[in-house]
Amino acid sequence: MNRYSWLGLIFIATLILPHVIGEFWIHVAIEILIFGLFAVSFNMLFGYMGQLSFGHAAYFGVGAYATGLLMLKTSVPLPVCLVFSMVAAGVAALIFGYFCVRLTGIYFAILTMAFGQLIYYIIFQWYSFTGGDNGLQGIVPPGWLLNVKNYYYFTIFIVTAALIVMWFISESPFGYTMRAIRDNTERTRFIGINVRKYMLINFVVAGMFAGLAGGLLGPFTRSIAPDLCNWQQSGVPVFMTVIGGPLGFFGPIIGSVIYTFLFAFITGFTEYWPLTIGLVIIFVVLYMPGGILGLVHEKMDFFKFKHLTNDIDKGLEKET
Amino acid sequence: MAILKVEHLNKHFGGLQATYDVNFEMKSGELSAIIGPNGAGKSTFFNLLTGYHKADSGRVIFQGKNITNWAPHKIVRLGIARAFQVSNIYPAITTYENVRQAILTKQKRTLNLFIPAGRMAKEETTELLEITGLSSFSNIIAGKLSQGDKKRLELAIALGCKPELLFLDEPTAGMSGEETLETMELVKRLNQKLGLTILFTEHDMPVVFGYAEHLTVLHLGSIIAQGRPEEVRKNEMVQKIYLGEEA
Repeated sequence: MNRYSWLGLIFIATLILPHVIGEFWIHVAIEILIFGLFAVSFNMLFGYMGQLSFGHAAYFGVGAYATGLLMLKTSVPLPVCLVFSMVAAGVAALIFGYFCVRLTGIYFAILTMAFGQLIYYIIFQWYSFTGGDNGLQGIVPPGWLLNVKNYYYFTIFIVTAALIVMWFISESPFGYTMRAIRDNTERTRFIGINVRKYMLINFVVAGMFAGLAGGLLGPFTRSIAPDLCNWQQSGVPVFMTVIGGPLGFFGPIIGSVIYTFLFAFITGFTEYWPLTIGLVIIFVVLYMPGGILGLVHEKMDFFKFKHLTNDIDKGLEKET
Repeated sequence: MAILKVEHLNKHFGGLQATYDVNFEMKSGELSAIIGPNGAGKSTFFNLLTGYHKADSGRVIFQGKNITNWAPHKIVRLGIARAFQVSNIYPAITTYENVRQAILTKQKRTLNLFIPAGRMAKEETTELLEITGLSSFSNIIAGKLSQGDKKRLELAIALGCKPELLFLDEPTAGMSGEETLETMELVKRLNQKLGLTILFTEHDMPVVFGYAEHLTVLHLGSIIAQGRPEEVRKNEMVQKIYLGEEA
């Protein structure tokens, strides 16, 4: 089998999917895609740069509000709104990232969270512009996307394109420089890399893709609320990435599939969702520290997608 | 011509004067060593020259340019590379990728976000691995290499920066006798064939006297002797405080 044939098969399956599942599950699938994109953008910071951001939802939220506001107040076509979402989230990430990249480790996590909450409270309080805690209602997508199947295909198209771009970034010299900063910041400085500058660029790029994911959400749910930006929402990509595995490119997507599916399934018959996901996280952290992808990589060699997970070997090597 | 000139350099950590009024010069193409007992300030001196620590006072001039207290990455780009005392490599990626990272940085290609790194700098990386004798470890995760090979890998990373001036902090620490010889021969070749100016520190006296053309002796942060190895060997003060027990 060809190297990338597994990916091709999965892609074809996602194209057939809406014809075999009900409308409720198509909604879930769209959420999986949007949050998968969000989580992969988060993992540019966590998995590749080695810094835990606990305020990544802020850029997701800025993207969501950018598209939401543009669609409500102007008649700009949706694709243009999405580009604007990326730009707006990128600018926000540039401003706050400038300060965040001066720190690492727990201090980085706390500062990203503080700035995330800052954005949350601005959106929460600014009634005249963002609608405050009422959020924005009535974000209706253009006619051809009113049908949920069409919105699904639209989302697949955007998310796949974004993932391809991010995959190229992860394999580029820039992507390897990120791994270098993660593995040995000092050495990287002493081969001539301006570490802060590179971390800032990565922070902005990750913010832009989070903004794109956010932009896709509004026209799908038809409304957005400031809760999208708060720190609990920032925990979502963290959970997804830990479940799926941070050391492979597709880990966060696998995490998104499990997390979002579980959420839809569990909340159907119990309100104890936080308890459930808590137990899942504890299990993953204790018994499969490399996430699902780490487990597959270790135990299921026959799938022959080592090339997609080869970072895992290296990451685990470092741990031991 | 002096490639490096250091004037009245001072550095203290709390009450400890780690570098005291150091004046130092290196000619282009020289292979020199700094010796001195543990805690003499050899590593601090390297750290001051490469931007790892900031000097309290004094000047560091490289090729006529005042680089005192510049950021490390700027100093590297100007042409000064270093290897650390404890090997400082990327343990989680392959030997090949370690060296390629330095070369891509030198080639200013690290801001490229869209072309796979796997296609770049193949020849240069392979060549450098050959020169440093690491070809057979190309695909091995660097963290798995032996101590000696890690030191050699770090030398390769430093060379990947294409420096004109190279600082090696105990390049043969942790190596067997045979590895030490191989590494020092390599250092000598780099100096003679590529014209690289090299300054190294070393504890092993036969290595120092066998390879260095010029010696500087540090003691308690100050220079107490400088000159050709045979002159330094005769220096009474050096014999007393440093070579005393060993010579």
